Amino acid sequence: MYCCGDDLVAADCADTRSAQALADHLRASGDWLECVAGIASCVAQFDLASVTAEQAEQRLLAAVQSVPPVRDLDAELIEVPVCYGGEHGPDLDDVCSLLGIDREAFIDQHTGGEYRVDMLGFTPGFAFIGGFEAAREVPRRPQPRVRLQPGSIGIAGGRTGIYTLPGPGGWQIVGRTPLRLFDPGAEQPFRLRAGMRVRFVAISAAEFDAGRPA
Amino acid sequence: MTIRVLKPGLQTTVQAGPRRGQRHLGVPAAGAADPLSLALANRLVGNALLAPALETTLTGVSLRFESRAFVAVTGAKAEVRLNGERVKRHRTLAIAAGGELEVGAAQQGARNYVAFAGGIAAEDALGSVSTYLPAGFGGFRGRALRAGDLLAVRRFDAAPQMLRTPKAFRPRAGSSLALRACDGAEVGMLNKESHFDLFDTNFSVGLRADRMGLQLEGARFDVSSGGRLASAPVFPGTLQCPEDGKPFLLSVDAQTIGGYPRVAQVARADRHLIGQLRPGDHVRLLWRDADSAREELLAKHDYWREWLPGISGIV
Repeated sequence: MYCCGDDLVAADCADTRSAQALADHLRASGDWLECVAGIASCVAQFDLASVTAEQAEQRLLAAVQSVPPVRDLDAELIEVPVCYGGEHGPDLDDVCSLLGIDREAFIDQHTGGEYRVDMLGFTPGFAFIGGFEAAREVPRRPQPRVRLQPGSIGIAGGRTGIYTLPGPGGWQIVGRTPLRLFDPGAEQPFRLRAGMRVRFVAISAAEFDAGRPA
Repeated sequence: MTIRVLKPGLQTTVQAGPRRGQRHLGVPAAGAADPLSLALANRLVGNALLAPALETTLTGVSLRFESRAFVAVTGAKAEVRLNGERVKRHRTLAIAAGGELEVGAAQQGARNYVAFAGGIAAEDALGSVSTYLPAGFGGFRGRALRAGDLLAVRRFDAAPQMLRTPKAFRPRAGSSLALRACDGAEVGMLNKESHFDLFDTNFSVGLRADRMGLQLEGARFDVSSGGRLASAPVFPGTLQCPEDGKPFLLSVDAQTIGGYPRVAQVARADRHLIGQLRPGDHVRLLWRDADSAREELLAKHDYWREWLPGISGIV
């Protein structure tokens, strides 16, 4: 438990899922302005006008001690179609040579696993999807790309990231999904949620074009 | 009532209060970069303090009113003209149909707020009408204004009182600012000398200064020795130290997760000041512990409550 600002308290967590569980538990209490999980920590923002830092730390400690165990058997599974390589995945060949495998082997590996959304963050709806251990040593690009297409699928540090907005990004882009995963005007703006299970399914460029959102 | 944008300025957006409680979905706060000035403008036209208004950036904005309107301008130091005549900021201005309002370039400070009695009719997205430019939602079509845009203003019930902001409640725009700040989560990655420097450097604001955040120049901090950090939550007011050693101060549009050491956090009481910083301005950080930061916040609320009774929802 530590302060990281006058109105911010944090707890370090064993892993991303326990950080998410703590953030969800804190949010459910209604006591906090923001409850955000990181990769291995959770930060809660409180209303400094009505709560002292000491009270906030006590509340956080109580929450850490009462957080329910992580349950994930009933998490929703979503299949994300991905067109790998080519114009949609400009870094696929670099990633393959880093891993010492060919494209087919990479696609087999990436589509062969079941993953989990660790968290949404960075920008609206950007999904950090954990569990791609084969790519644990794949770093981010030394220079971020200036403008990625929404739906771009990136790889870095054993995670898959899905960019939901056009804009800059530093992950190694291996493909792109035609799914629109963030739509601010929709009743449910976020298609992915932390904890959801994810499978990737390879599609052709023609299938990508057919399924591309308007 | 409709307003036509004659000259949009560099980046004029519709801003109101922040988006709250959605950072865990990656949704930044957005909202007025200087919410105190937004509240002061709305106060003068009888609106709710966080009603949607226009936020200008460095340059001004020119508008034509198609029917009678009541307007107020607050924020950065700038010349304001109504039908070509100089008028004062911090007053309720009555504008007849056909009138033209011109807010000039900011001379000190960075942003002006132009509020209209009734408030701008704007698109709600994810719980706020504030524009978030990187994702293109909220405000006026999710974007900055362009010449020729027509803004709709909500009908107001009765003409507002003609007010002026009392002198004691007009923030002074300056080019040198002190921000009270607490230690950040990774302050331990700074050695003792660097920590001293962090709170002893007269920083200047770099050219990279926008609603996402501001580069601070004047000292570099070597925090790379700790190796790669696990991405962790960041907030408006967080001072990050990227690998180039130059501190970056996050503002209202900041991303929700960051991968760089968080060395300090500007205190809530002073976060509204970040929105008036412009390239070349001078900034010092004043170290506070959480308890004194809270006392100072409560003191600030006590001071402002007389003119802005809802201050604790603003600052």
